Amino acid sequence: MAAVTAGSADERLAQRGPIQQLLTRPEIGALLGLAGVWLLFWLTSEAFGTVGGTANYLDVAALLGIMAVPVALLMIGGEFDLSAGSMTGATAIFVLLMSREIGELGGAGFSLHLAVPLSLCFALAIGWFNGTLVERTSLPSFIVTLGTFFILIGAKLGFGKLFTNKVIVEGLDDAQGYVFWDDIFGAEWIRNSHVWEGRDWAWAGLLVVAGVALLAGLLEMSYARRADSHPWHAAGGLLAAIAVPLFGFIMLLGTDGAAANWIYGGVVAVGTLSGVAIWCTARYEPARHGRTAPDARSWRMLVIGVAAIAAAVVLVLAMNAADAGQLGFLGGGLGRAVFALGVAATGVLAVMAATGRVRTSAPVIGVAVAMLPTISYMMTIQAARAVLFGGLAATGVLILTMVGTRTQPSLWIPMAVAVAVAVLAFVVQSESESRKLRVELFSTLLLIALALAALAVARSLAQRRTVAVPAPQSGIWSRGGAMAGGLATVVFGIIELVDGDGFLYALTTGAAKGAVVALAIYAVGTLYRMLFTTDEGVGRGLMYVGLAAAGLALASKLLFITAAEAEATQAVTRFRVSVLFYLLFAAAGAWMLARTRFGSWTFAVGGNKEAARSIGVPAARTKTTLFMLVSVCAWMAGMLIAFRLNSVQANVGDGLEFRYIIVAVVGGNLLTGGYGSAIGAAIGALIWGMISQGIGFAHWNTDWRFLVLGGLLVVAVIANNYVRQRAERSQSHVVDEGETPPETPPPAEPEAATTGGQP
Amino acid sequence: MSDATSTHPLIELRGISKFYGNIIALTGVSTTVNPGEVTCVLGDNGAGKSTFIKILAGVHQHDAGELLIEGNPVRFASPREALAQGIATVYQDLAMVPLMSVWRNFFLGAEPLKGVWPFRQIDIEKAKEIAKAQLAEMGIDIRDTEQPVGTLSGGERQSVAIARASYFGAKVLILDEPTSALGVKQSGVVLRRIVEARDRGLAVIFITHNPNHAYPVGDRFVILNRGHSMGNFAKADVSQGELTQMMSGGAELEALQHELATH
Repeated sequence: MAAVTAGSADERLAQRGPIQQLLTRPEIGALLGLAGVWLLFWLTSEAFGTVGGTANYLDVAALLGIMAVPVALLMIGGEFDLSAGSMTGATAIFVLLMSREIGELGGAGFSLHLAVPLSLCFALAIGWFNGTLVERTSLPSFIVTLGTFFILIGAKLGFGKLFTNKVIVEGLDDAQGYVFWDDIFGAEWIRNSHVWEGRDWAWAGLLVVAGVALLAGLLEMSYARRADSHPWHAAGGLLAAIAVPLFGFIMLLGTDGAAANWIYGGVVAVGTLSGVAIWCTARYEPARHGRTAPDARSWRMLVIGVAAIAAAVVLVLAMNAADAGQLGFLGGGLGRAVFALGVAATGVLAVMAATGRVRTSAPVIGVAVAMLPTISYMMTIQAARAVLFGGLAATGVLILTMVGTRTQPSLWIPMAVAVAVAVLAFVVQSESESRKLRVELFSTLLLIALALAALAVARSLAQRRTVAVPAPQSGIWSRGGAMAGGLATVVFGIIELVDGDGFLYALTTGAAKGAVVALAIYAVGTLYRMLFTTDEGVGRGLMYVGLAAAGLALASKLLFITAAEAEATQAVTRFRVSVLFYLLFAAAGAWMLARTRFGSWTFAVGGNKEAARSIGVPAARTKTTLFMLVSVCAWMAGMLIAFRLNSVQANVGDGLEFRYIIVAVVGGNLLTGGYGSAIGAAIGALIWGMISQGIGFAHWNTDWRFLVLGGLLVVAVIANNYVRQRAERSQSHVVDEGETPPETPPPAEPEAATTGGQP
Repeated sequence: MSDATSTHPLIELRGISKFYGNIIALTGVSTTVNPGEVTCVLGDNGAGKSTFIKILAGVHQHDAGELLIEGNPVRFASPREALAQGIATVYQDLAMVPLMSVWRNFFLGAEPLKGVWPFRQIDIEKAKEIAKAQLAEMGIDIRDTEQPVGTLSGGERQSVAIARASYFGAKVLILDEPTSALGVKQSGVVLRRIVEARDRGLAVIFITHNPNHAYPVGDRFVILNRGHSMGNFAKADVSQGELTQMMSGGAELEALQHELATH
């Protein structure tokens, strides 16, 4: 925690940097887990990181996430819905039975234009029933919805067989109005049919914009603005920081050969760092801190970090990347001996733990030893090389990054760290077999090194800010941007529709163009405000610009294909419309929770229902609405399932409710209610999708899928819990420093100071 | 009760009773509450004070007797209805959600909104600003209105609750033992707030078991003992000593004093 500096707005408010503030968010643990899981499978599997692989796990995550978000909201509101899973299947079967004329009794034979809205009403009725019953009876929702769960399972099978005499209800595509509704619920984005030659340029350009905006935003949020800032001077620095590295990068990617690489790498580094230096001196208060020597802990961390990177480099050189054989280093007698040793150690440690001699978690060590032979058979040499290298390198970079940010006054240690990371990058480039590692990991590592060096330069030149960063002003630029973006979305969407394109294509391209327009206007506005006004919120505004640009870059790469790529790949990549709904629902859920009155009420009824009720929150209505929200999303999931397969089995969705709950918990939602995040639940769904599909991509034995999934989820939950506790501790630490003053208010408060006893 | 003029008192209770099964929580309590007056409800633990205010606040409904607001008999189905009639309550257990931030708690149930319907959202900046200003006015300098209420001290939480009630409470402010968890200085602040609210024309109902706090600020005293009303006095008719005596069931206290004196 940064030291409390004189002259801050409130001396009891300890300074918390942007990173610390971020760490108190509930979804941060899930986000770290997501990064870890992605990195793991990206390193072990060629297919996972490709667009096809991404579409694959996104699809799994989407269907899960559409439900996990409302289930998380309900959980924050303090309730569970065990009927959520079977409700998805129930709405799907309902719509089929309503729209078909089959079997002896015959279905209703309605047009889908009637059947689809009817099934929504059906879902709403179930949600209302669940909510009202829980509220009226005050029974635990666990019991009430368990009843609904069994009723729905029975009804699905019973009615399905009654009408069709089969456990599967088929033939949705024969129903009236199918084409219209299939365009919505069954729509797909087939990437190969959307060739865009400018994609690579858009990708690179947007990434540079994103990087610069994020760096500038971080600087703005971290350092104190000086009163007499020189706008054009600063702008020149910014321009240099963009132009020179851009030139260097283009040259770097176009050349081969170590010497040229080093030269252009140097050009990039010098350009960026001098740009940052100009920017900082023109814009921020000069640094006032004296220089002190780094402490023992920094030295220790530096040594460990460098050792980890060195070990990673040695490993890459020693192991054969082309060997797909099993690792199996603990086969035969040795394996059995290790296994026996592990079991014995578990037993001994368990007894010792029971008698209180060692920690209760100690037996885990024995279990880990016993698992070693099995693990050695589950992995190939290739995979082990990638995982070990990735793990060691990531650990090393992480530790070095921490050293770099820790030794505040010193400039040379962060620089040394940056150089170490850069060396790692060049080793990766020269030693990797795959293009993926050679290009993507190389550039990522270089970027990390560059960012570390840039931040070190900034830190040695500028004074840290002592007041919290306000929200960016939502003036004419954001309003105008939003309006122009919305207008552009509608206009471009209609143009595409008139051209005869599908609904999904029109919607997506319209939204993408609208987003570009909105982003451009907002970015120009932020730039203007940054240079010519004293608005302190531009730091966060720049962060938004950076994140949006990165998101657009990613979307352009995922959704479009260049002609050259199309020629090289045979596989068809399709994104289903469920992904769009997933993103939409996650965003809507997050907005609702954080910004609306209903979101506030949800937290309140989950945190302290009686208090919420007595203060005037309509608790019963809030909870019933939450149950109905779950059922609406179940209807959406049901429609997506029905229009994907055109037939529904009676047991679809059964048992998924626990998966939704687990995913929500992984995303940082508290099982007991009152705390959590919708975005977290969406991220949890993504983690589940990545793990369950990644195991297949990595060619691990899929029989073990659920074992690995379960294990990783337990780890995710523990890590999440740990991060949250740390966050809460850091928060209460801030409070502790100011805990005493409230009882004896500072003399600055006239009312408190003049009050003595009774009036 | 006291004066039967043409204008009705703001709140009038006539023989209000409440039963939980065969347990008599409150029986035959009558009083009036007028604007610009502080009505103190005194009683020891288990006297029925909490039941009394929960009926007024709409959490419970009375089983017998009449509750009149400006002359009209009412029966609140929910706290929201009582709030709509301008009756704001600060509870003993503070009615706060500990995991939620200060500003969210401050505006819970009455969040300021902005925007048009499908995109209507809480005006967070405004809410934070008002919460901070209102608390500063109470002499409580909240460091960051974004911090969870659970991290505040008991005195601070009380202040947030009172500031909230007085910000929203239009006509009647019910305070349930507001000083019981506070130190001397903070109690003084709370009592001062009560007087200020009275002077602004609010009717204040002040529930306490501390006659030392009640007597200086009260205009009218209702004394409860084991669910029964021991009387309804104007300030002129009763002294602080008499209050203390009646509250604890007079004779018992005398016996105790006698017992202690003989030792």
